[in-house]
Amino acid sequence: MWRVTIKYLAARKLRLLLTGIAVTLGVAFMAGTLTLTDTVQRTFDDLFANVNRGTDAVVRSKAALKSSQFGDSRPPVPESLLGQVRAVPGVAAAEGNVNVPYAQLVDSKGKAIGNPGQGAPSFGFVWSNNSKLNPFRLQPGSNPPRSDDQIVIDKKSADKGHLHVGQRTIVLSQQPSKKYTIVGIAKFGTVDSPAGASVVLYTTREAQRAAALPGKFTDISVVAAHGLSQDQVKANLQRALSSDPKIEVITGKQLTKENQDNIKKALGFFRTALLVFAAVSLLVGIFIIYNTFSIIVAQRSREMALLRAVGASRRQVLTSIVGESFAIGLIASAIGLVLGIALSTGLKQLLNVLGFDIPGGSVVVKPATVIISMLIGTIVTLLSAVLPARRAATIPPIAAMREVSFETTGHSARRSLIGALIVGVGAAILAFGLFTSPKNAISYVGFGALLVFIGVFVLGPVIAQPAARILGAPLPRLKGMTGVLARENAIRSPKRTARTAAALMIGVALVGFITIFAASAKKSFAAAITDQIKVDYIITTGRNFGGSGLSPALAERIAKLPAIEAVTPIRIGPASVNGTVTGVATVKPTAAATMFDFNFTRGSIASLTSNGVAVSKSYADKHHLSLGDPLPVKFSSGRTVPLKVEGIYKRTELAGTFLVSLDNYAKNESQQFQLDFQVFAKLKPGVSAAEGSKEITPLLKHYPTAKLQDQAQYKNEQVSSINQVLNLVYALLFLAILIALIGIANTLALSIYERTRELGLLRAVGMTRSQVRSSVRWEAAIIALFGTVLGLAIALSFGFSVFLALKNEGFSKFSAAPGQLLVIVILSAIAGVVAAIFPARRAAKLDILKAIATE
Amino acid sequence: MTTTLPPTITTAARAIDASKVYGEGEAAVRALDHITVEFEAGKYSAIMGPSGSGKSTLLHCLAGLDRVTSGQVFLGDLEIASMHEKELTKVRRDRIGFVFQAFNLIPTLNALENITLPMSLAGRKPDQQWLDTVIDTVGLRDRLKHRPSELSGGQQQRVAVARALASRPQIIFADEPTGNVDSRAGAEILGFMQRAVRDFGQTIVMVTHDPIAASYSDRVVILADGKIVDEIIEPTTDAVLDKMRALGA
Ligand SMILES: Nc1ncnc2c1ncn2[C@@H]1O[C@H](COP(=O)(O)OP(=O)(O)OP(=O)(O)O)[C@@H](O)[C@H]1O
Ligand SMILES: [Mg+2]
Repeated sequence: MWRVTIKYLAARKLRLLLTGIAVTLGVAFMAGTLTLTDTVQRTFDDLFANVNRGTDAVVRSKAALKSSQFGDSRPPVPESLLGQVRAVPGVAAAEGNVNVPYAQLVDSKGKAIGNPGQGAPSFGFVWSNNSKLNPFRLQPGSNPPRSDDQIVIDKKSADKGHLHVGQRTIVLSQQPSKKYTIVGIAKFGTVDSPAGASVVLYTTREAQRAAALPGKFTDISVVAAHGLSQDQVKANLQRALSSDPKIEVITGKQLTKENQDNIKKALGFFRTALLVFAAVSLLVGIFIIYNTFSIIVAQRSREMALLRAVGASRRQVLTSIVGESFAIGLIASAIGLVLGIALSTGLKQLLNVLGFDIPGGSVVVKPATVIISMLIGTIVTLLSAVLPARRAATIPPIAAMREVSFETTGHSARRSLIGALIVGVGAAILAFGLFTSPKNAISYVGFGALLVFIGVFVLGPVIAQPAARILGAPLPRLKGMTGVLARENAIRSPKRTARTAAALMIGVALVGFITIFAASAKKSFAAAITDQIKVDYIITTGRNFGGSGLSPALAERIAKLPAIEAVTPIRIGPASVNGTVTGVATVKPTAAATMFDFNFTRGSIASLTSNGVAVSKSYADKHHLSLGDPLPVKFSSGRTVPLKVEGIYKRTELAGTFLVSLDNYAKNESQQFQLDFQVFAKLKPGVSAAEGSKEITPLLKHYPTAKLQDQAQYKNEQVSSINQVLNLVYALLFLAILIALIGIANTLALSIYERTRELGLLRAVGMTRSQVRSSVRWEAAIIALFGTVLGLAIALSFGFSVFLALKNEGFSKFSAAPGQLLVIVILSAIAGVVAAIFPARRAAKLDILKAIATE
Repeated sequence: MTTTLPPTITTAARAIDASKVYGEGEAAVRALDHITVEFEAGKYSAIMGPSGSGKSTLLHCLAGLDRVTSGQVFLGDLEIASMHEKELTKVRRDRIGFVFQAFNLIPTLNALENITLPMSLAGRKPDQQWLDTVIDTVGLRDRLKHRPSELSGGQQQRVAVARALASRPQIIFADEPTGNVDSRAGAEILGFMQRAVRDFGQTIVMVTHDPIAASYSDRVVILADGKIVDEIIEPTTDAVLDKMRALGA
């Protein structure tokens, strides 16, 4: 029996290849993701190990707030602590660190270096004179900074920005924009920059000024005396500093581990997101392999029956098919693994192109990657082949006498019932996840969606025939006999058509869903901006992700301009309310009152004092808060402030859940959250926009990341920032669609092989080659359209459900994106035709005599 | 030898010094060996011969389904041996009708669609009056909407004959059209073909093993080892049997 398997495999190389590709691509995606994230992780692991190599212990404040979104917030330590630390026995050396959270370098042409707000961050540190604690190495011709207007910069930024020693340039921080002289260029160990970040190295005093931490350190690094272990020096420090309960001491190793774990967490999210897409590709692959094996079993039913007739047991037939799938799975996974490793570089490039800058060292392939990829690829293939194999085993020996391959039609009450049941259960789970917001809502939604897909897959054969008939209805008039044949061929095997289409359905459903979701989000967002903001100018730093912003000095200077009536920044930082760490937003109440309409049901923005907090209506309802109720808020500085509820508002798209006054925020949030996210300004009555711009523009010269926009431009920019994410998702789903198209090609190729005689006859009685090709292409188009229509139907229902679920959380408008959906329909019809190119060519090239002679 | 006799109008198909060699060198098989033969228009001709004598090969070459290795093949006044595939396809579609031994019909099309298939492929409307005549001749009026799988083997062959007749081709080629049906159904089919020739002036060339089938024809050409070895005009079953026995078939 094994010999039969191997012989069969060898004889059908092409089909093998096509089937294998479905697995290979999914596995490649998965292996690529694992390799990429492992590689990035290793880069950071090495980075932190290097940074902290000379550090034996760190003295710092305990975390005031711990948050996965904002990171841990630690208040700074006083400078005086350094003297205490140095006096501790076993401390050979100690240096105070100052982390400047935002230090954006400006190149020789006056433009910000790098990709501000996305990708690699821009930090500032103190230039340490202790070479053990300083991982940077000055390049020839460089000096360390000796005065407060001197800096050293990393080599990567110097190269990118064409900056050299002696040049003067602007560095943006949360302080007013300032010019410095570059006195040195440094490498980070042996590389140009730590993980691609841009780094500015200041004198201690200047770093403190830039970070707005005069007289303070972020933390203190300690070098242990010779012969003393990290744990020993830590113990000494703990003993000596035990009087201050807010201070903690950790070893260098612990610090490294902590840094690495933080990255791991961030990467973990990214990795999971990518793996979800890999899983989608694999799911599509499963459908395709299942379909392929089903067709093969049908085609080989005579052969199987013959085997059974000559005495092969059911078990042997089963083993033969399972063996074939095992071999395909193994080979395809191995190729996928290799491809994936190669692809990890490509994946990184893709993310770079889309604006996500990822550092990377030499490729890291962990044994886990190899094992997981091989295992999942092989198991997936095996599983997809088991059902068809079982069907093959039940073929009665008598079937050997029958003429053509038999595949029952898709109609059956049982199938309809089971399919509908699965769809129903899936929809229920989906709705449960969406509307009752349980823990792990996303898992419910995902599992529900998966069930819906499977249910529609089961139902497919029932609807395939009428659907294909409707979709193909115009064909006979359009293409005559060619069209009739295309339509009839698409209908003749409803199971096959349905399974092939189902693979495409998944990809299209997801693409359609996110298209609808994004269109609705854009519409909602645009409406929110139009409804809630009435200003003349908005200053942003381009696209807004964390890590960048505007110095508050800019807003202050704009406020002083004669043309300007009112200015407020928006800032967002972490705070703990009722034991949960969330974001708190701030505006200047008097100014904001003239600009924003957050639909206050109680109180108003204007009446927000420094002792108050405004909360969203949904939060107030949930926690039974009304005007005047106490609501203590713990800020990132570590201070808990007894605030009172002074307002309740409905619209949360811009304001979020909590809103405090600017002076309150400025006093209590730590310095690293004091960058302005955006600045809003209103002109005095009677002042024209041109006059206003004329006054503001000169100020912006010192702040190259600042972008002046009117409300319409702002709306466009904010809305189009959604496109970036949309494009990324499209790119990631592309593979699933590609696999589905391969599935169409594969099915057609197998069908054509099966129809050899029929095609021969058609050619004999006068069908031209181009007519044959056209007929196959149209058949593919019908299958593709069927899958697309199914997919879009699912997309619309998913999209609308999500809209209903999020309606009260800012997702106020639904858009079915009819234009884009139409484009999807047209594109997939075209894609179907493209997928058919190869099978169509094969069908047309068929040797008539051989076809007629085929037994 | 290059004889290029101008084909006469009354010749529907002819092969001149036609050879067909399969394979090369030692393994080469000469299926047709310098055959010169012609088939008269408006006549019912049969090709007979032992198995492997080259009957199907001759038919395929005459019908533009296969190409001769050397020599010429005329269909009416068209030289088809040197035609391009595209032209040949059109010739088959517009000038030739086919009836094969089995698997004559497209399973996804009903009987009527199968009958009009060549015309549909050409984008032509069938001549309704003639179509009705053909359908009534083969007696398929009540079966037109049926798919091939719903028809008996004999009925399927009748649909095939109807298809061959429906487009009024210059010539119909049939390769053992009754090979897969019982003698009664066979007799019916042969009767229709005979009527088509006698009543409507159709030209038919048929390959057969069956002396009874051959007796329906006007002339039998006998092949052996790729050569024409004999012919019988106005054959009877017995005359054919005698000749075949003489060949040891
Ligand atoms: N494609 C081919 N390749 C090689 N040899 C072939 C091929 N087709 C036919 N032949 C050989 O050519 C010769 C004639 O074959 P052909 O099919 O014309 O015979 P036939 O008279 O139709 O026989 P039958 O009565 O069995 O149908 C045979 O020897 C056959 O083996
Ligand atoms: Mg033959």
